[in-house]
Amino acid sequence: MSRIERFRSKEEFLDALRSNLDEDRESVIDILMPYPLPEAQQLMNPEPSQLKVFAFTGALCGFAFGLFLTIYSVLSWPLIIGGKPLISIPPFLIIAYTLTILFGALASFFGFLWLSRLPRIPALFAAEQWEEDGRFAIVLKADEP
Amino acid sequence: MIEHRDDQIERDVLAAMGRPGAGWWIALATSALFFFGGLILWGYQIFRGLGVAGINNPVGWGVYIANFVFWVGIAHSGTLISAVLFLFRARFRSSFNRAAEAMTVIALMTAGLFPLIHLGRVWVFYYLLPYPNERQLWVNFRSPLIWDVFAVTTYMIVSAVFFYVGMLPDLAVARRRLGGIRSRIFRVLSLGWRGTLRQWHHYGKLYILLAAFATPLVASVHSIVSWDFAMSIVPGWHTTIFAPYFVAGAILSGTAMVITLVAPMRRILKLEAYITPAHFESIAKILLLTSLIVSYSYIVEYALAFYGDQPPEAGQFSYRALGDYRVFFWAMILFNSVLPLSLFIKQLRLNIRYLFVLSLFVNIGMWLERFVLIVSALAHEYEPYAWGTYSPSFVEIGITLGSFGLFFSLYLLFLKTLPVLSITELKEHQP
Repeated sequence: MSRIERFRSKEEFLDALRSNLDEDRESVIDILMPYPLPEAQQLMNPEPSQLKVFAFTGALCGFAFGLFLTIYSVLSWPLIIGGKPLISIPPFLIIAYTLTILFGALASFFGFLWLSRLPRIPALFAAEQWEEDGRFAIVLKADEP
Repeated sequence: MIEHRDDQIERDVLAAMGRPGAGWWIALATSALFFFGGLILWGYQIFRGLGVAGINNPVGWGVYIANFVFWVGIAHSGTLISAVLFLFRARFRSSFNRAAEAMTVIALMTAGLFPLIHLGRVWVFYYLLPYPNERQLWVNFRSPLIWDVFAVTTYMIVSAVFFYVGMLPDLAVARRRLGGIRSRIFRVLSLGWRGTLRQWHHYGKLYILLAAFATPLVASVHSIVSWDFAMSIVPGWHTTIFAPYFVAGAILSGTAMVITLVAPMRRILKLEAYITPAHFESIAKILLLTSLIVSYSYIVEYALAFYGDQPPEAGQFSYRALGDYRVFFWAMILFNSVLPLSLFIKQLRLNIRYLFVLSLFVNIGMWLERFVLIVSALAHEYEPYAWGTYSPSFVEIGITLGSFGLFFSLYLLFLKTLPVLSITELKEHQP
């Protein structure tokens, strides 16, 4: 079971978080913040975000796909235009560069959704326990009754 | 009890989404009227053929392409303000970023129509996209026009994602604060955002990554648009400075459009406490800087033509300043290079009314720049017997006005449907 403590000011919230963590690190299940507080994030000390892996993989795939698309398409219908080599790397790099950004940005976005477990389907249709209410909050393990 | 500052920010920003007044309805009705007028004229053009436009031989690119370049340019300062200034930790961006990001997305939607409007047979526009087809043909990836398709589409998608991601925590605030159907819509749009440690943790990382992905786009998209021109051998277009020159011009016009949009918005939506003259001053400095870069580019262009020992090039540049389009050329110099110099005076940078009027002139000046650049070059190429002139037909003028109608209609709708300032960032940066 769990219970929630809410705070109006960030100072009170940070003090309470600090004392709760000092008392028993395991007692703090989660924190809710209306805006990100670096101090609180530092106190909770989460694992480094793995989002960069998604971004990097997406960007790399975009680059590879850009080169593949351009090179494959000129080879599938080999037509010399303007005396240029079929595989003209400089212009193809522009396509690859653009797709690097596109795939990288989209992979980061979907990676974010995956890592933060969004969208939470039940929450899309009905209010649930402990929604964002504009206040700071600490979700604590409740004592056994 | 004194209201908590956080509550006050939420209330003030969301109050802007309240029931619209008569002014808003009149503005929307006017914009929508222009838009539908433009739509009807486009229908007329599709029905009758491109002959109803004024474009001819030799001037095959007219105001449609000028509009395309103009609207893509407008989009740029949105990304500059939201991504580049974020990476530079410029605090004043939080007063402008939402409006500027919305402007980017809307301007790109408007810009994207113009290559289609310019097509003779718009119903086969998908030939521009590379897809396996029964004709066994692929697009020519060596053509700048295809780079453009990729660059602008990517820009559109990345800006839309950036816009949405930046709004996510604010959508959760709107879900809680607004009632009725809007609460239900925002509940879905906010994806169940709660502001937990895990969410904020990855969110912070995502925002930095998206800003990092969007930043090179500020430089690359308009560079690629400029290569539509610079890759040709037309005198006046075939020059290496086009890419940086277009990027600076894009940011100049975009910054001017941000001022044009935000100055009245601040007044009408009563956001004076959040968007201060000091914030406008920072934006005015960007305007001044980019205006100086653009003026420098004008000088370099002329210097290259003068020293280049290329008679067609020199002829083109003297035609531009003294020929058929000289009035537009000198107006462009006045609006883009001379008038913004007044921003060296601090009092004028702090005077929002002055900035608003100036921004209108810069908008006009930047539109004229694209017009002069495109039309004068094509009108006066190598062979004197192939010279000609161009003036837009009523269809082209109507469609141009229609694009402004579309842009302002969408912007007005944005003002009343989404939070116009970043609530989260305002709370975060409050003293």
